[in-house]
Amino acid sequence: MTKKISLRDFSMVAGLLLIWIFFSMVEPNFLSSRNLTMMAIRLSFTAILAFGMLLVLLPGQIDLSVGSGAGMIGGITCVLIINQGWGAGSSMLVALLIAIGLWALMGALIAFQRIPAFIITLGGMLVYRGLFWRVIESKTIPVQHGDQANLLSMLTTEYLSKGLGYVLAGILSILVLLAIIKGNRQRAKHGFEVDPWHISFLKFFIATQVIFLFAINMNQYQGIPLAIIILCIVGFLIYVITTHTPFGRYLYAIGGNVEAAVLSGVPVNRVIIGAFALLGAIVALTGFMAASYQGSSSTTVGNLMELDAIAACVIGGTSLVGGRGNVLGVLVGSLIMVTLLNGMELMSINEMDQMVARGLVLIMAVWLDVFLSRKKAR
Amino acid sequence: MSSSHKIILQVDRLTKTFPGVRALNQVSFDLREGEVHSLCGENGAGKSTLIKCLSGIWTHGSYDGTIKIDGKEAVFNGVSDSEHAGIAVIYQELALVKEMTIAENIFLGNEPTVAGIIDWNIVFSETRKLLDRYGLKLDPASVVGDLGVGQQQLVEIVKALSKNRKILLLDEPTAALTETEVEILLNIIWDLRKKGITCVYISHKLDEVFAISDRITILRDGESVTTLEASASNKHEVIKHMVGREITQLFPRRPTTPGKPLLEVTNLNVYDDQNDKKILHDISFEVKAGEVLGFGGLMGAGRTELIMHIFGAYGRRMNGNVMLNGKSLDATTPAKSIASGLMLVSEDRKRYGLILDQSIGFNQSLASLGSFLTLGMFIDGNREVKKNWEFFKSLRVKAPGLDSVVGGLSGGNQQKVVIAKALMTGPSVIFLDEPTRGIDVGAKQEVYELMNLLTDSGKAVVLVSSEMPELMGMSDRMIILSEGHIGGEFKRGEAEQHNMLEAAMKFHGKGNA
Repeated sequence: MTKKISLRDFSMVAGLLLIWIFFSMVEPNFLSSRNLTMMAIRLSFTAILAFGMLLVLLPGQIDLSVGSGAGMIGGITCVLIINQGWGAGSSMLVALLIAIGLWALMGALIAFQRIPAFIITLGGMLVYRGLFWRVIESKTIPVQHGDQANLLSMLTTEYLSKGLGYVLAGILSILVLLAIIKGNRQRAKHGFEVDPWHISFLKFFIATQVIFLFAINMNQYQGIPLAIIILCIVGFLIYVITTHTPFGRYLYAIGGNVEAAVLSGVPVNRVIIGAFALLGAIVALTGFMAASYQGSSSTTVGNLMELDAIAACVIGGTSLVGGRGNVLGVLVGSLIMVTLLNGMELMSINEMDQMVARGLVLIMAVWLDVFLSRKKAR
Repeated sequence: MSSSHKIILQVDRLTKTFPGVRALNQVSFDLREGEVHSLCGENGAGKSTLIKCLSGIWTHGSYDGTIKIDGKEAVFNGVSDSEHAGIAVIYQELALVKEMTIAENIFLGNEPTVAGIIDWNIVFSETRKLLDRYGLKLDPASVVGDLGVGQQQLVEIVKALSKNRKILLLDEPTAALTETEVEILLNIIWDLRKKGITCVYISHKLDEVFAISDRITILRDGESVTTLEASASNKHEVIKHMVGREITQLFPRRPTTPGKPLLEVTNLNVYDDQNDKKILHDISFEVKAGEVLGFGGLMGAGRTELIMHIFGAYGRRMNGNVMLNGKSLDATTPAKSIASGLMLVSEDRKRYGLILDQSIGFNQSLASLGSFLTLGMFIDGNREVKKNWEFFKSLRVKAPGLDSVVGGLSGGNQQKVVIAKALMTGPSVIFLDEPTRGIDVGAKQEVYELMNLLTDSGKAVVLVSSEMPELMGMSDRMIILSEGHIGGEFKRGEAEQHNMLEAAMKFHGKGNA
């Protein structure tokens, strides 16, 4: 099952490389360990939210409320910790359940009442933003009491010790090796074509190189950030869900042809509600991490995050009409968005021009997508 | 009253080929000014293709032969050319904007303006005049979507006539109409005839054809068989010409001894809430293990609706009972039906059968993912691929591999993927709706052989087909539906085609309301 690399995938990775080369040339600090660590932390919650967005874009839906929602959930958590004196863990659990409930409700309205997702979530965007400001009373609420770190603040401030970082990198490499061997064995057992050993070795070699290069680089600053570990776990889960469960297949089927999906026995309503409920959990996690990253909850947290998430998906090859997109593409798309933001901040480009640039990148990516898929249709 | 003998339109040896099919073969007929001329033929006889040539959808040069209007060769490079020549087509599917009023629809794209501003007074008063002229008691300001289907059809005809057309082509205009609406429509056509407008009328309903036609041309397998004067002919003669073909194709049906009944349907009455119409009336039948039951009938007789309803994808059950494998099946969703051992292969594989952007493997296993689970929730990729290969090979899908995108395959191979998907759910009863539509002869043979294999292994097949030879060749038993009723039931080899066509027309014009 070798997959051919499409022109589109190639242009995406090439675009990322060009952006990296550009920033590393104009801004020497771009490739410093400190900056790469900052980028990794920012990437973690941007990409996690984009993974969630992928879940609803695949069946042809959309969610504009995730930015406000992430802000509100972070706000609720901070208020519970600071104003109500709750523990960080229980506050986060309550906020998580609230998010799952709200998003399942939006999913149910979309599935059963046939209200377009665009409208429901556009409304949600305003409702959540308003509730958010009410909850924090338009103040700035810190994520922790004084300098006592808690579970919430640690999400983006904790780093693995250098030794643990290397051990983890080693374990991950061994896992990659085992996965390759097991995959080949299984394929051989079922009588399928198996990659020749040098290809398998090359895969393993590249994977371990990337893992260790990253670990060494991070360790030169503070160590591997906890946030990146969370990103890896969420990314792996979403990958497994979208590719190795019936639920994931159904997401693609609904987005590709909902009528055929119904006649194939796909429980369309349940799948859509499930996708939104999962997105709700991810919105909560993003809300925690965004508040933690800023150190507090204030009125601007979550601003425009929905657009970054949608942009990351679209740049990563996700179709807005549904049926197409994958985790790896979304990760690359998120990386492009985060790199752009980080690079522009390093070059001290003002916020107004940053917004213009983000908007233009999104438009160009969609235009490229439309252009390339039209070509394919010929 | 009688039409002049001036030939207004002449079609001479028209031949239109599609890859692998000759849709029209040397078709000739002529239209006299002011006559009503009916075109009759079975499904697939070439009527629609002929209309498309006359309306400019198939442009000049895409067919052989000539079309002459008033003695001059007509060169249509698009629909607007044919409109300019005075030809208007009324299709079965309506082309009105449902949200707009009658007046807005009639003048759509043709609005009278003063300095760029639409003069609504003219729009409404002209519409009023037009409606009055054809005796339609409708308000120009009513919204089209609020009208009945029949009234919409009439509005569409008025719209076509508002542009001074002299030839009107009506393609199955009464398929969706009620009895009264049909009458109004026929009166309008009769009225137009008096005013010198020439009509080409396409219908399966021979009563209507004989009620209004001056002449009738019969098409069969893409050829014009004959043209009859309606007053000197009768229904039987027309039917004889419509079906009078040798069955040359091979139908390798191997009948088996039927076992116990697998699917039993009693007194099914089904209502279509969307179109506000009762679609199925008192349908009862059973299918036994090892049996192929065929459903025949004309377009709109309710065959597809029947199997889609039993499958859980269409209509509201007013009453009636369905038993599958001895258990009651009140399938409200296809998912439940599939779980109970029923599967459907739909007539429109692109719309209802396939996720075109996805791979063969994705499509094949989509309906049976539940059978490849490990740990209760993960798909065992190896087991899935292995099973997919099994079906890919046994159905001889011609493609590089399971990863090939379905949208790029030929019709026959796409159909095999849909059938593979159905078989992988392990059904005991399988519904095949037009399983050989648009696929080549070789693939057809493979589908037939597959039906034999299914019945050999004790499964039951329900075949819906519009091709009479296929239906008669492959079914052990046939039920002919007529306007949502059972029009007749025939055993294999017991029926002649004309008996069946008569059964299919049995309920025409009877209790449709």
